[in-house]
Amino acid sequence: MKKLNRTYVMGIFMVLFSAWIAFESTRIPEMLVSNEPGPRLFPFISALGIAVFAILSMIFDGKKDEDKEYLDKAGYIRLAIIIAECLLFAFLMNFIGFWITSMAGLFLFIFTLKGKKKFNVIFCIIFCILLGSICYFGFTKGFNIPLPKGTLWSSLGIKMI
Amino acid sequence: MADYITALMTLLQPMNFIMMYLCTLVGAVLGAIPGLSGGLGITLILPLTFAMSTELSFSMLVGMYVGGVSGSFIAAVLVGIPGSAASIATCYDGYPMTKKGKAAKALSIGITGSFIGTFISIIVATLCSTYIAEIALKLGPWEYFSLCLMAITMVVGLSNGSVFKGMTAAFLGLWLACVGTDSVTNQMRFTFNNYNLFGGINVVCLLMGTFALQQVATSYAKGNQEMPKVDEGALGGIGLTLKDLTDNIKVIVVSLFIGLWIGFLPGMGSGISNILAYGQAKKMSKHPELFGTGVDEGVWATEVSNNAGVGGAIIPMISLGIPGDATTVLLMSAMTIHGLQPGPMFIRTNPVLADLIFATVLVSAILIFVTELLTKKYFPLLLKAPYHYLYSAILMIAFMGAFSSTTSMFSVYLVLFFGLVGIVMDYFGLPMTPLMLAFILGGKIESYFRMGVSYGKGDYSLFFTRPISLIFILITVYSLFGPMIQKALKKQRT
Repeated sequence: MKKLNRTYVMGIFMVLFSAWIAFESTRIPEMLVSNEPGPRLFPFISALGIAVFAILSMIFDGKKDEDKEYLDKAGYIRLAIIIAECLLFAFLMNFIGFWITSMAGLFLFIFTLKGKKKFNVIFCIIFCILLGSICYFGFTKGFNIPLPKGTLWSSLGIKMI
Repeated sequence: MADYITALMTLLQPMNFIMMYLCTLVGAVLGAIPGLSGGLGITLILPLTFAMSTELSFSMLVGMYVGGVSGSFIAAVLVGIPGSAASIATCYDGYPMTKKGKAAKALSIGITGSFIGTFISIIVATLCSTYIAEIALKLGPWEYFSLCLMAITMVVGLSNGSVFKGMTAAFLGLWLACVGTDSVTNQMRFTFNNYNLFGGINVVCLLMGTFALQQVATSYAKGNQEMPKVDEGALGGIGLTLKDLTDNIKVIVVSLFIGLWIGFLPGMGSGISNILAYGQAKKMSKHPELFGTGVDEGVWATEVSNNAGVGGAIIPMISLGIPGDATTVLLMSAMTIHGLQPGPMFIRTNPVLADLIFATVLVSAILIFVTELLTKKYFPLLLKAPYHYLYSAILMIAFMGAFSSTTSMFSVYLVLFFGLVGIVMDYFGLPMTPLMLAFILGGKIESYFRMGVSYGKGDYSLFFTRPISLIFILITVYSLFGPMIQKALKKQRT
């Protein structure tokens, strides 16, 4: 069986997605203000536009061959790793606070992104501590912009800087 | 003229001058950091100005504004991540130029383009403020709606791939703009009872996710782990010849007018003008197929237009008391705080202060131009940082910038979500620019459309019968179907 190309997959997904938007739009309460199209109109237009142009794309672009793979197997693994690390960063940012996460997260990102290159661990640790601290204190003390302090510490009754 | 000279003398007093220069520099640094902006700088220093004289306050605030817009191209050129929405389109050719080893030239164009845009636009604003504002008053929601629509369809032409994929992305952006509280009826749309979505989707999260996270993740996955080389020989001086200017004079003039025009339309701003000017430059070019691969015109167009928006945005602020963009809203708040009444009477009642604002833009533009030229050789140091250090720092700053924009963890999750959306769109070949512009303009398109229908008592024909609106709609239709028809005719002939 021939594999569907990416444009067809995108088109089918977009048509289904537009159907969902249209369905959800019907659930928006319609408040009638005189001579006013109402809050449902633009979501409906968006849904219609997505569906129509996705179908047109399938018709006109679908036949074009996609000779190049987006990524090879190793590429997908690398993509999954970096996404997982970003998810972990976001989780830890909330849990143990931005300061510690920024330093640990930077180290993890650097370790991953370096690939097979050699790197100086001591320099990397100093870099992570410095950059993480400058960003954290620059924002919180310099600009007075709060950054997460960590739910863990507040639940333990420990006051973070 | 006497008022202008008085204003200039006030500005050149040591305290005012030094503080203005410092604020311009801070603004440029904030503008260069993805997620931050000159607007943030204004917000931060606004409380400090309460106790200051009005002249000193406005020298600082306006300096910060000019610096913020001028600095936003640096990250866009060097790492392909826009400092703010004003430099989205700078990434399209600025970063490819850097990849080709022409970072020095791209930076020179950015610096010079920014200067030309701000300098000329503020002269126009100073001389024609009152007259131009009168024209703006004659435009209604019908014209604004058609203009926004035209901007989106022109940008779809930017997508190097399929027009249909571009339009699909644009409608996705329009839908994203619908998320949140409906501005007319206060009904919640697609918020799923999550209060974080009541105010709509934050543009910083969209930018950080679709540019920063997506770019780092895909470049790592694709194995592109080499930093671009810099042509260090070209880092001294202005880095441009007179020929560079004359060759691109048409693009510069057109972009200047686009920036001025978009800037002075209420509620629009540099975020829109840079993309629109880029689209126009591509249409005017003899080699549009090269756009996106690192052509000079692309960077000229975006940097001249986004900075021209500064002068443009100041026109309605001074003449009508209507903010031209988000940052001028803050400047107007500062006026109110200082007991001033922005509006048609402002120039008459405060002629020196009005001229001080114009003069500050002019002097800040000159100062930032000279400073950037002198320090330009240090900018590419960023590219000498190893890939894994620089991209890791970008990821961290993206999360930090997103959080600080709303001080909510929800923004961080949104960055992750939009990063994934960006990767999926890249996989399917859906262009990001139409989505971005439709998202930025979506709210305005909807409100102008609904206002137009409401003012016309349900008459939809006004969008087609008002001449300026009709012209915009005709350009919209042409920009969508024109290239297709031309292509079909060309095919038929051959």
